[in-house]
Amino acid sequence: MSFTLNLDGEQVRIEIRKRHPKLVLWIDGQEHVVGPDAGSVSGTQLLDIDGRAVRFTRAGTDDRCMIRLAGRTFELTLPDASALGRGADDHGSEVRAPMPGTVVSIHKSAGNIISRGDALLTIESMKLQMALSAPRDGVVAEILRQEGERFDKDDIVARLVDKNRNG
Amino acid sequence: MNTRAAPFEKVLVANRGEIASRIIRTLREMGIRSVAVHHGIERKSRHVAAADEAVEIFGETPVSAHLDGPQIIAAALAQGAQAIHPGYGFLSENAAFARAVREAGLTFIGPDAETIALMGDKISARTFAEAQGVPVAPSVIATGNLKAFISAAETIGFPLLVKAAAGGGGKGMSIVRSADGLAEATRIAASEAERYFGDGRVYAERYIERPRHIEVQVLGDGLGNAIHLFERECSIQRRFQKIIEEAPAVGLRGPLREEICAAATRLAAAARYKNAGTVEFMLGADGRFYFLEMNTRLQVEHPVTEMITGLDLVRMQIEIAAGMGLTLGQSDVRPHGHAIECRICAEDPAHDFLPETGTIDYLNVPSEPYLRFENALRQGQKITADFDPMLAKLVVHGADRGQAVERAIGALRDLAILGVRTNIDYLAGILDHEAFRAGDLHTSFLAEHASTLLPALSDRHVLEAAIIAGALGIRAFRDVAFGVPQPYASMDGWRN
Amino acid sequence: MRKIQSSLSTSSTEFRRREAYHRDLVTQFREKQDAARHRRQQRDLERLRRQGKMLPRERIEKLLDPCTPFLELSSLAANMAYDGDAPSASCITGIGIVSGKEVLIHANDSTIKGGAWYPLTVKKIVRAMDIAIENRLPVIHLCDSAGGFLQLQSELFPDRHMAGRIFRNQTLLSKMGVKQLALVFGHCTAGGAYVPALSDYNVIVRDTGAVFLGGPPLVKAATGEDVTVAELGGAEMHTTVSGTCDYPAEDEDDAIRIGREIVAQWQVAKKWDCQRDTPEAPAYDPEELYGILPDDIKIQFDMREVVARIVDGSRFHEYQPAYGRTLICGFANIWGFKVGILANNGVLFNDSSLKGAHFIELCNQNNTPLVFLQNITGYMIGREYERRGITKDGAKMIMAQSCSRVPKFTVMCNGSFGAGNYGMCGRAFDARFIFGWPNHQIGVMGGDQAANTLVEVKLNQMKSRGETINQEEIERVRAETLRAYQQQLSGYYATSELWDDGMIDPVDTRNALGIAISASLNAPLGDAGYGVFRF
Repeated sequence: MSFTLNLDGEQVRIEIRKRHPKLVLWIDGQEHVVGPDAGSVSGTQLLDIDGRAVRFTRAGTDDRCMIRLAGRTFELTLPDASALGRGADDHGSEVRAPMPGTVVSIHKSAGNIISRGDALLTIESMKLQMALSAPRDGVVAEILRQEGERFDKDDIVARLVDKNRNG
Repeated sequence: MNTRAAPFEKVLVANRGEIASRIIRTLREMGIRSVAVHHGIERKSRHVAAADEAVEIFGETPVSAHLDGPQIIAAALAQGAQAIHPGYGFLSENAAFARAVREAGLTFIGPDAETIALMGDKISARTFAEAQGVPVAPSVIATGNLKAFISAAETIGFPLLVKAAAGGGGKGMSIVRSADGLAEATRIAASEAERYFGDGRVYAERYIERPRHIEVQVLGDGLGNAIHLFERECSIQRRFQKIIEEAPAVGLRGPLREEICAAATRLAAAARYKNAGTVEFMLGADGRFYFLEMNTRLQVEHPVTEMITGLDLVRMQIEIAAGMGLTLGQSDVRPHGHAIECRICAEDPAHDFLPETGTIDYLNVPSEPYLRFENALRQGQKITADFDPMLAKLVVHGADRGQAVERAIGALRDLAILGVRTNIDYLAGILDHEAFRAGDLHTSFLAEHASTLLPALSDRHVLEAAIIAGALGIRAFRDVAFGVPQPYASMDGWRN
Repeated sequence: MRKIQSSLSTSSTEFRRREAYHRDLVTQFREKQDAARHRRQQRDLERLRRQGKMLPRERIEKLLDPCTPFLELSSLAANMAYDGDAPSASCITGIGIVSGKEVLIHANDSTIKGGAWYPLTVKKIVRAMDIAIENRLPVIHLCDSAGGFLQLQSELFPDRHMAGRIFRNQTLLSKMGVKQLALVFGHCTAGGAYVPALSDYNVIVRDTGAVFLGGPPLVKAATGEDVTVAELGGAEMHTTVSGTCDYPAEDEDDAIRIGREIVAQWQVAKKWDCQRDTPEAPAYDPEELYGILPDDIKIQFDMREVVARIVDGSRFHEYQPAYGRTLICGFANIWGFKVGILANNGVLFNDSSLKGAHFIELCNQNNTPLVFLQNITGYMIGREYERRGITKDGAKMIMAQSCSRVPKFTVMCNGSFGAGNYGMCGRAFDARFIFGWPNHQIGVMGGDQAANTLVEVKLNQMKSRGETINQEEIERVRAETLRAYQQQLSGYYATSELWDDGMIDPVDTRNALGIAISASLNAPLGDAGYGVFRF
């Protein structure tokens, strides 16, 4: 079973070949022997890789890690697993209403850069208010409802696109 | 340690981020209560936590909240503050604000509103400087007659710098190298000036090739007395934004340095300047220097001056504002060693320095007696597009420039801000560059050496190490690599 | 602990001959196993692909953590039943690691008659659930079955340990706090619907997964109602309307991903504190086992040589080495776990029976798991031995073994005959896991012995009737007996009937025991105490 990681936009395949006595990882055709990684996912430490001591600082989360070594900073991500096998859904670009209701207030507009979890709209249904949040980082492409407008369950209320890096 | 009674009881800091933290630190040392202002989005910010009191300010955008003079004055009055420190940027050079603070019965920790207005208008400032015998670059002011302006500009000679009269901080400027581009550049500058500063006046002045940006820190008591705290070199700039500053200037000959500092002091005294200010100059390779502008506020890079003089500029600002005048004479100020400051920004050098957003997943701040890390950062903090991308300032001191450079490079290596891309390694690359070490500085340094400052393509070993150490930092992968119990972990993929 | 000194000569003619013989047996075993695991009708494979389904073994590989072992149980179940129509009894069971947790996996094989449950399928699943209960192992069910194999319903439905027992075991497991997850990849019909329903968590794949007590044809026949599979029991309905299923999955990969995430939430079981040391590979090459085992089941060999190729560092601390020498008893480590080993070097006599009982008591006192390496034809018989109390001594050994509080593991290395099987913890005595080697035989007595006994009876009959000894008749009786026995004595027959938990290659024994022992530690030790020893 190989994992596909994303290193600054490039795909990398990585496999676990052995765990004891040392971790052996296979990356795009080559095996590497890795010494014990005693530290936590975030911090500065030394790691032995193929006999060389490598010093780095990293900040890891559940699905990504930013790492700084040899005077450069890299970002590694494990592509959103729920995007795999869902083909058509375009990486969660549509934000759908979970139940019928009305739009109470709109917090973002087209062009706003948003992070995963940012509130996009506040809706009301059954006398309860809730915020609809962005399922991922990106840019708001459009908000499809206005304040006071009604919507049905599963109606698309907002669309997102990826952050454009070219300018 | 000063045993005088605190000059004010309470001061409101009309700013945010690292400068607010830094001002609050001095206020605390002086026994003065501090009031922070913040927009809702920065409620958990360190400068808010550091202050004794905090007031939420409101606005359409976080920046607009910090620009709302009346609201800030109202907050100061409501909290019972006696003075307002404006920091830099925002309202610090807003003459109307300074006046309104005074009229509200509060003390504005900075120059008089009239001085701010004088120096805020680049054309009137130039005229004033010339009158004090401070050298200014040949220039011509645009009048309604575009044709006349262009022909007058041509007589100065190219290359020319077309600037907005009401501008500053490097905004609204462009270099014109030949007559062809002048008309267009003038039109654009005028329209940008109108849009950004509400004042469409432009002027053109001779542009000095490969100039060095030298500025002098001055302090005045408002009664015609002024001293200088030596000069700073801010030649390392990207698109007119300073990113590395140092004090003193590299290899400046004694007489020339004295002449520049004296000119700055003369200007400040003549303007009956009160509080802290900075006089900026362009220094050509031929040793001729010209007045650029005067900034009537505390500057971002003031720490390098503090480190070579051992003085606390914010403290001196507060003392002057409290009517204590200049507590030092020129001969009391003696420089020692060398200091370098690096501005750490959330931007990606590999993608044309586009501002970055994200969360600070990991923060490691180096700690040494010779360094200051001015910041208001916190692990877990969200970096948004609401504010300026500058995150922090790293300032180091050394016995000489060589030691300061080594210490700065070391500190940048130990500093870790992960979760959002920064220019930390880019800064280290500049410091380590042969030309920088040699002191061969000028304001086009970064453009000239751009290709050698680009991050080098990583070699295979580095990429592999990044992948391995990075993958083991991703919890999902790490759990699979290390989460298998024995004896299974030693059996690999055995099947019977 | 001292290393066993091997007195084997790996270059002797005898060794070489035996080695060739056993390598050949293992080759045949591997071929049969491969066929049972992988050889399928093309049309069945195509049907699965058309339905967008993965093969059951593909699902298991994706479910398991990468680069981890999997101990498959009873891979040759039903190999001698149903004309070979149900390889591995149409299901796969085994122990592996999912999201860092030790789990038991039970997967239907829908490449065989749509995954229909044969009687031996049910027996294999019930056995798997018994293993889960005895060892407190969480279970992951990979459901994809057409239901019971109707033609043989009387052999899989009504009795105590038939299909209902699967669901009864599920409820017991749940009551014990041991978790179950069901991934519904295909149909779960009738009783099969209870597998996800009785699981603590379940995931259902859109379009292909379905859960219903009666499928559309049955519903139509019973009430005249016309309804589609999806409407009756599909993912959408069960995850949004009835609440029978917990998580809808877009496809099989998604179901596996969700399943792994669910398992990742589970708390790792606390094992009881078995004595443990750092594991060490045996000093002698395990492949030498091929040359140690005889090529004729009647020939004696030294079990210490076998022990030396299984235990850590080949180190063994023998207990009472000079007494009761037909039973070897001693302590060793297997994958670091301290165990007490009993192994046969001949028939059991009074002294070896007593030694065995005493050693078992020592292991129970010390919380040391027991490993029985069987090569036993039985207890010694004869007048002298009966007078000395061989029956009582055998009973004492059985009493000690059977009432043990520590987990027990049995490997049938060669012969497993008669009462010797009992004393040495045969199937009936609840070893947590029992494995057999390809060469092993199991029966009430050996084939030759059975033949000789019947010949003896015939001779006595002839004598008592005053008939002349008809040599041809004698030979016919012997030959017929042997033939009848041969088939049912073979390890293949035993494993086919699920009289064990799998046939394994001798060189796999160490890893199999390592996993088995590790899995067994999740359940607490039993109660101490024995019944009455007839002294």
